[in-house]
Amino acid sequence: MFRHTSLRFWALGLIAAAAVLRALTAEYFGVEMVAEIAILAILVIALDMVAGFGGMVSLCHGALMGAGAYAYAMLTVKVGLAPSAAFAGAIAITGAASWLIGAVCGRSHGIYFIMATLAFGQMGYSLVFEQPVFGGDDGVSGVPRIDLSLIGLDLNDPRTFAFACLFVLGLVYWFATHVLQAGLGRTLTGIMHNEQRMRALGVNVWRIKADMFGLSGMIAAAAGALAAQHVMFVSPGLLNWTVSGEALVVVILGGLGTIIGPVIGAIAFVMLKHEVSAHTDYWHLVVGLILIAVVMSRANGIFGWLEQRLSRARPSSARDVIAHQVRKDLAAQGALEDA
Amino acid sequence: MLETRNLSKSFGAIHVTRNVSLKLERGERRVILGPNGAGKTTLFNQLVGEITPDEGQVFLAGEDVTALSVQARARRGLSRSYQKNTLFDGLTVEENLGLAASVTHGHWHNIRYDSLTRRDVQDTVREVAEQVRLMPYLHARVSDVSYGVRRQLEVGVALATRPLVLLMDEPTSGVGPEMAKGFHDLLNDLPRDLTLLIIEHDMDLAFAVADSITVLNYGEVVFDGSPEEARGSSLLKDIYLGAWEDA
Repeated sequence: MFRHTSLRFWALGLIAAAAVLRALTAEYFGVEMVAEIAILAILVIALDMVAGFGGMVSLCHGALMGAGAYAYAMLTVKVGLAPSAAFAGAIAITGAASWLIGAVCGRSHGIYFIMATLAFGQMGYSLVFEQPVFGGDDGVSGVPRIDLSLIGLDLNDPRTFAFACLFVLGLVYWFATHVLQAGLGRTLTGIMHNEQRMRALGVNVWRIKADMFGLSGMIAAAAGALAAQHVMFVSPGLLNWTVSGEALVVVILGGLGTIIGPVIGAIAFVMLKHEVSAHTDYWHLVVGLILIAVVMSRANGIFGWLEQRLSRARPSSARDVIAHQVRKDLAAQGALEDA
Repeated sequence: MLETRNLSKSFGAIHVTRNVSLKLERGERRVILGPNGAGKTTLFNQLVGEITPDEGQVFLAGEDVTALSVQARARRGLSRSYQKNTLFDGLTVEENLGLAASVTHGHWHNIRYDSLTRRDVQDTVREVAEQVRLMPYLHARVSDVSYGVRRQLEVGVALATRPLVLLMDEPTSGVGPEMAKGFHDLLNDLPRDLTLLIIEHDMDLAFAVADSITVLNYGEVVFDGSPEEARGSSLLKDIYLGAWEDA
């Protein structure tokens, strides 16, 4: 079950403060990195919602992000829709598509679910790659950014755009944690723990999975629409399964089923990518080694490791103390009865 | 309240249930007895929809539910507990009961508020926790509590859906004699308007709780009557109760 903890609040506050400071003070490259991290963080939050709280390990979230990017690009460049309307349209179209994917794949489990989502993702990739209307290998260029001049903001300014991405990330974080703490999120967690029992309680399991997958797809689409605006260009590579694989690596690196963990994972991943790739082309090897170390440590990613370390260092929470007292009382009662 | 008509199921050449017809009135407490492999659990699975019968019908409160899914039958008031604990192990006792109660109160699909903190859900959780004697364990994780407490929770989760009919598959399975005795009281304290159908091997519990007894043997109903008639039945002694009477 998702719960806000003091550590999560602290982590969130620190990340927000560092991001704002970085976006305010960094040069061009640093500001671009903030936008890149924010977009990746949005995508991995979407993936963590279904993988970490529903056991639905998706290999099509890259394609969903790509679908959002293409939908935004097509609606603005080819259809001529206003960017803000195209942004909403991209989210709605991708959300509907991901609901359908969730409805179909939600009836399978484990490796079959993974392969079914991979198949959907690769179908999307092939469609975009083969259909001339999507620009084939050349993609679609000249993608505009949303016009916020009415409120005095110019998103063509990299710093303003980075702040816009951070703002969307904040909204997405709030929305994801809100949904996970609402009935839908609680029920999905119950399904992850015991699907058979949830069905026996009267829950329409595939519907819950489809609905959460749809919401997750909408968030992935928001990441895609921002990515399209960031580089002002979309190409089929956005939908490739390797993007989904990278997103999964980031979620595991940060901490599956924590929401804040994947955000930390996104920061670590992008910084590693830029720092290590400055010295060697084999930066994926370094990320791979770190991922193996994280998995072998048996902690739940970077955030899980932090949680473990801090829980050892600090006294038990009030709930733990009460639970311990109850156990002691019951044991004492049992001993008295035995006597 | 619950009725089956000629329920039959075969797996290949093996007839697991044959023409099983039962009729439970509202508030009736019926125990199903039978040796291992008699088809008791398969009958339960057909009642709740986890297995589709080859022939026959299931009626719940007068409605033919044979073609309905597990979840649709559950929403109409048919709830079950399992022979092996089927709980949400990583969650607390309170969360286990809360998940079931949130389905009952229709909060399971909303995206606006936390279903577990709703007043009606919390009230149901507390009420059921008292019924199944789980109040001291509400905040404990299921993985931290004893097997006996988990058996109580197994029944509690089924009860939290506020069913019309509760099917219990060997509720005392694996618990000690003291705990089993506690289950007698627990079952006797349940609301009298709740219809109970219980699979049980514990004869003391069967005779302490049952208004009526049905005996299955090789998938067929071979006895249907009151506990007194069951005690006096020579057929039952032959196929099932001999060991109990001797003991």
